[in-house]
Amino acid sequence: MSHTGPTTATLPVTEPGDRTAPLLSLRDLRVHFRTERGVVHAVDGVNLDIADGETVGLVGETGSGKTVTARSLIRLLPSPPAIYVGGQALFRPRTACGQCAGSGCAKCHGAGYVPEPCQVCAGAGCEGCQHTGRHTLDMLKVSGRVLRTIRGNNIAMIFQDPNKALNPNLSVRKQLAEVFSEHRAGELLRDAGLEHEAGALLRRSASGRSSFLERRTLDLGPLRSRHRRLEAVIDEHIAGALADTHVPNPKKIMHRFPHELSGGMKQRVMIALALACGPDLLIADEPTTALDVTIQARILDLIAELQERRRVAVLYISHDLSIVRQISDRVAVLYAGRLAEVGPTERLFEDPLHPYTRGLLAAIPAFGQRRGELVPIEGTVPELVDPPPCCRFHSRCPHAAPACRHVEPELHARPSIQSHEAACFLYEQADALGVDARDMPSMGESGPPAPRVGEPSADEEP
Amino acid sequence: MTVSMADRPPTQADVGPGSVISVRGLSKHFPIKEGVLQRVTGHVRAVDGVDLDIRPGETIGLVGESGCGKTTLGRCIGGLMPPTSGGVYFGLPEPTRRRLDELLALDDRRTPADEEELAGIVRRHRIDAMDKERWRIYRRNCQMVFQDSFSSLNPRHLVKEIVGRPLELHRLATGAALIERVVELLESVGLGSQHLYRYPHQFSGGQRQRISIARALALEPEFIILDEPTSALDVSVQAQILNLLHDLQDQHGLTYLFISHDLNVVRYMSDRIVVMYVGEVCETSRSEPLFEEMLHPYTEALVAANPGSHGSERHATVRLAGAVPDPANPPAGCRFHTRCHRATRDCGWEVDDIIRHLELQGLLDGLTDITRTRGAAQLAFRTPEDARAAAEGMHAPSVPSVLRAAMSDVHIDGSRVELAFQPPVRVSLEEVRPGHLTSCLLYTSQGVQMRSERLGRKPLSPA
Amino acid sequence: MHALRVRLRRLARLSRAVLRNPSASAGLVVIVLMLLMAVFAPLLVEANTPDPYQMPRDWAAINAPPGTPGHPLGTTPEGGDVLYGIVWGSRLSVRLALTVASITLAVGITLGSLAGSIGGRWDEYIMRVVDVFMSIPELILALAIAGILGPSFRNIILALAVVGWTQYARVIRGEILKVKQKEYVDSARIIGETPLRVYLRNVLPNSLTPIIVIATLDMGKIVLVGATLSFIGLAETGLAEWGNVVSAGQQGVVAGRWWVATFGGAMVFLWALAFNMLGDGLRDVLDPRVEGR
Repeated sequence: MSHTGPTTATLPVTEPGDRTAPLLSLRDLRVHFRTERGVVHAVDGVNLDIADGETVGLVGETGSGKTVTARSLIRLLPSPPAIYVGGQALFRPRTACGQCAGSGCAKCHGAGYVPEPCQVCAGAGCEGCQHTGRHTLDMLKVSGRVLRTIRGNNIAMIFQDPNKALNPNLSVRKQLAEVFSEHRAGELLRDAGLEHEAGALLRRSASGRSSFLERRTLDLGPLRSRHRRLEAVIDEHIAGALADTHVPNPKKIMHRFPHELSGGMKQRVMIALALACGPDLLIADEPTTALDVTIQARILDLIAELQERRRVAVLYISHDLSIVRQISDRVAVLYAGRLAEVGPTERLFEDPLHPYTRGLLAAIPAFGQRRGELVPIEGTVPELVDPPPCCRFHSRCPHAAPACRHVEPELHARPSIQSHEAACFLYEQADALGVDARDMPSMGESGPPAPRVGEPSADEEP
Repeated sequence: MTVSMADRPPTQADVGPGSVISVRGLSKHFPIKEGVLQRVTGHVRAVDGVDLDIRPGETIGLVGESGCGKTTLGRCIGGLMPPTSGGVYFGLPEPTRRRLDELLALDDRRTPADEEELAGIVRRHRIDAMDKERWRIYRRNCQMVFQDSFSSLNPRHLVKEIVGRPLELHRLATGAALIERVVELLESVGLGSQHLYRYPHQFSGGQRQRISIARALALEPEFIILDEPTSALDVSVQAQILNLLHDLQDQHGLTYLFISHDLNVVRYMSDRIVVMYVGEVCETSRSEPLFEEMLHPYTEALVAANPGSHGSERHATVRLAGAVPDPANPPAGCRFHTRCHRATRDCGWEVDDIIRHLELQGLLDGLTDITRTRGAAQLAFRTPEDARAAAEGMHAPSVPSVLRAAMSDVHIDGSRVELAFQPPVRVSLEEVRPGHLTSCLLYTSQGVQMRSERLGRKPLSPA
Repeated sequence: MHALRVRLRRLARLSRAVLRNPSASAGLVVIVLMLLMAVFAPLLVEANTPDPYQMPRDWAAINAPPGTPGHPLGTTPEGGDVLYGIVWGSRLSVRLALTVASITLAVGITLGSLAGSIGGRWDEYIMRVVDVFMSIPELILALAIAGILGPSFRNIILALAVVGWTQYARVIRGEILKVKQKEYVDSARIIGETPLRVYLRNVLPNSLTPIIVIATLDMGKIVLVGATLSFIGLAETGLAEWGNVVSAGQQGVVAGRWWVATFGGAMVFLWALAFNMLGDGLRDVLDPRVEGR
């Protein structure tokens, strides 16, 4: 998706947080894994929307499927064991704002980007774009070429282990240069003033596609000074990207290699890499889990700051509810491959609907909680191999009833609060389901079941 | 060296329960070997002079970030590593503990009789000087549960062998009686006889931790060191394990040393908390008073950074700059001063600190040599311009004002810059409130004295 | 008792996994056949007197081709029965492999364990010794020993044993250094195990996996090298040994008398191939990433 050229859309610019035309829509996402033990239903019907500029926290424990969900929407899972069984990951990219060409103005609310209009209906709304008027792509079905354009440019990802994202053999500069060259070659040439005079050689250099011979020619031949101008521009962009992530002394750090940097610094470089091209969506997969808490705090500050400034939507994946509470606008709780509850952050924490969410909150030692008040969730996560149709939490739920063992609950909003949904029969009517009222769970159940530790099973995250 | 209230007349508190473990002046340094001949070029000062008392029945929470030395300290207390200096004392009755502190405080003023008395205490209680019999008693009474449940159980041993080995080793049971006892232990941690003949890989993380706990309990110890026992576990499983630890403590009257980087868990589990930073203890107190009145800026920073402290608000009250210092070359004076948001000019600023700032500004390219003497330093540059630029850079706004204030006599001599620093002091823990110790110069009498001396006034009583 | 049963079951499971690998099972079959041949040699071919390990010479039938009555596989230029050489040669191969393997494993594991477990100066010294021995070519050493002590099969065993232990020392030292970091080693120490017991019960068993694979592959290699050494004449003349048989037949190959060299060489080849396949199969099964299922 190019971020060049003005848009001719008559589409009203989406307000940040506008839910009618979300940036990302996961519809009934299903991803299974073929393993020795059978087909593991890692993600089994996830529905989730992320609006422009919104932070959604995806919370779950080991085996919940949160990482699989995140990676599947940019098809980052190795495909023999992973099977994309069904569902859609609808992504609606943005493009540079025509008015300010990316620098921010009133029209784009300072973001510099506006939604790209649908190519079929030019913003009017049609079947193809689900009547949102926005250009819509199903990430699970787009071609490899389109996928590669989107990755890095529109959707970026940061990981728990920066060592996985950073190439140990390349300097920081080389890696950032790669990202800029891949997606922003035109801009680089323009900033170097070479837009009109660049021949094939320089163009390829800007896109990072020069061969060794070509690079030597550029360094030594008559195009030397122009090449140096181009390199200088690249350096500026890189230094800028590093400075944005508060890396001290960017000009010096640029030339370092990943192993020479501390954990927090590597994380910043990885964030700089991810945000280099101004993506629409940042997927953060437990980026601070391996960091010390004081460094973690600063990285979270950084993500929040960058998000504010660039209006990037963030999908923040974590097992740590406290972190998610601090940075998310909305929280989605994942359990055993299905969403248990979704809602605005504060609502979810103040009034958790799903028994699993309640259980999680009761199990975290809150700051200042008295000893002996921690209530664990008994039992263990069930095996996800060919799961029967039932509520996956029923074996550990204090309110479990016969209905829960035979029917799979769907996400359902309470009538009064539309944005807060839970997949639990406690909040549904028996007649709406066609189930006997006596088989429905109720809140008045007595206490938690007898402590069980569960069968020995090696439950690992696929 | 702990400055205690030992000079008061004896009170009820002196007739105390003694300590299960007392650590005095413990240091553990690891040599760094470099080069073909493996010459020792320095030491990683993982633990640098720690004092600690662990009373019977209490849970001490040891908290800190990576590199603070808490794991190393735990291993030294557990007898897995010999200390480089100082000692770990086991089972000190209260009068002996006080006497030990008195004798240690005397230092080189000890008389031959004192020396002999000290040697006696050492022989009877210090774990690296004990005789075989006492060592066995210590070994039976001090056990440990480790973090990584996967690598803390031998993958080739069955559960029965893992949990039963301590009983076998100390000849506490054999044959059918052993199996019975093992089953008892497994049941006490929520497992059962069906798990006896299984291998560790057949269990989940939480269950493996339970097996580790069962093994730790086999010898019926008095004291268990828990090194990040729940850090690798999911929230719901963590709660199960923490509850289990609680119940076991009540049932068996156990004493715990709970090591963790998670402040929430530490606060939840501990009676008293010890905060460590780069090998030293910076603050220690009973849990509630510590959070009501934090007497060390590092503790403030930890609490501010802890996501669970504040609910939904982001408290950007304190954010630490920079990275954790290299334990092989820690900052002088108070080790936290390089990142401290409340540092004063007495906190131990010296040449290395200003060098770091100059490097950030990119002014060190012309640096050729650094000469240090006590309280002064000379930076040699290639050209006088470099020297001038550096001297100017020392007063740049990016340099903290306390650092600027700590430098004196900055002058240029050709292509050299000379400056003077206050010689850094060795900070030590001081009891500033009852039972609440800190090493921060903002609160200790040491710090107050330094400030008033500088201002030419008479020393005031502690803040 | 129950514990023993569980362990045996685990062993059975691993063995089944090995056998599922077709090349590994093929290799195992060949090895078993060779072992049987070695064990039952006197029943298959009547022992020669006075020394059963000397090929019986039939001066009436030199260079006899296969199928000659009394010599199913033909004879050497000296009338030595090729079949005899093959069958009794298997005995020598088994002896060679077992003896050299036992010595090298014992020495290598001991020295490697000392280096890895104690570390420090011991590590330095032992590893330097390993470096020295590793630089000695077996061939030159064997020649030297033969030169001093005279050519004999025993000296071949000696030469291979002197040089062959270094790989085990290196590998087990590396494994021990890794295993030492594991927390279960600390757990063993904290319940009061003596350092020796910690090593025997916790460190060694978990360091042996790669050794098993290497040793299996080595069994093939030992016989291969041993045959080479006896081929160049470092064993007693006329010995009923595969390499020797090949040596006896090498001249005749040009003249079209293929059987001596071929049958001798084929045995060596089969032996080495069988152990290689078994070794590969074991490696796949014992891969630590897969272990634990």
